[in-house]
Amino acid sequence: MKKIFLLLILTSFTIAQTKIEIKDPWLRPNAKGANSALFFIAENKTDKADTLIAAKFENSEVVELHETYKKSEDMMGMRAVKFVVIPPKSNVVFKPRDLHIMLIGLKKDIKIGENYNLSLIFKKAGEIKINAAVRDMPKMK
Amino acid sequence: MKKILLILLFFLISSCSNNFEIVDDLSKTNYELVDQNNNSVLFPQVAKGKINVIGYIFTNCPDICPLTTNNMRLIQEKLKKEKIDGVQFISISFDPLQDKPETLRKFAEVRNLDLSNWIFLTGDKSVIDSLMKRVNILAVKSDSTTFKDGRKIYYYVHTDRIQLMDKENKILKNYKGSSVNVDEIINDIKKLN
Ligand SMILES: [Cu+2]
Repeated sequence: MKKIFLLLILTSFTIAQTKIEIKDPWLRPNAKGANSALFFIAENKTDKADTLIAAKFENSEVVELHETYKKSEDMMGMRAVKFVVIPPKSNVVFKPRDLHIMLIGLKKDIKIGENYNLSLIFKKAGEIKINAAVRDMPKMK
Repeated sequence: MKKILLILLFFLISSCSNNFEIVDDLSKTNYELVDQNNNSVLFPQVAKGKINVIGYIFTNCPDICPLTTNNMRLIQEKLKKEKIDGVQFISISFDPLQDKPETLRKFAEVRNLDLSNWIFLTGDKSVIDSLMKRVNILAVKSDSTTFKDGRKIYYYVHTDRIQLMDKENKILKNYKGSSVNVDEIINDIKKLN
């Protein structure tokens, strides 16, 4: 219970500081040596655009911004993107089959039910720390 | 009245028989593969006598293959709930140089997958390549990441697919693995049961 309060306090602190709010962060399970992906909703509450330029995760060798794309009717691929613009007063959703933060070369097993600290780096808002749960699909709405 | 009964009877019969067009008949093929516990497995013989949900994956896949795997898990859970048995789940890697039995075992383990009716298969590259050619799975190396120590991993642009195979090793239907409607597959399985 104390942990939850602390988390709430930390989260609200982050929001007040940055005005970019990160909602529902989660990442995929995978084994040491393999890859994972981080998903979330980035909400820009300001009236100026901001840009996600990088992310940090201590448990993977490399972190990149990626997108999944459709190559043909039933062929799917993935590629790196340099940055992601979050337009003013709007949401950008990082979700399966779409934008994701790619966590490459995991240094340990990432298992369902665990939680991890990561950070997202925005041009204007700076570094935003998040705590993401390990799940195999997004929360059902 | 008789006419109506006849029509009803006709619909009953036609809805009972399955109406799949066979995509491919693998019953005369034979691929020597290995499962997640390093046991030799003959495919598709291992699928004989069961209805099979087959997914094609590589474990370095960050997005599409985990979705495919998760859809298979959802199907497995729903079938369990509805007490439908006789269905086997098979995930086959098209990246055998990277995906060793141990890699596949870990892939299942971190996801808490129930392997009581689910096997993961890999094998020699030449065998896997010829199987993928036969079942029409394309996987083309595209982007890669190079680590500080020089190691390089590849990502594939690949066919996004789950297949339904009947008890006689006939492939009955293809689905988009990552975005399939789970209930569609379950209804198709019910037609076979
Ligand atoms: Cu990616």
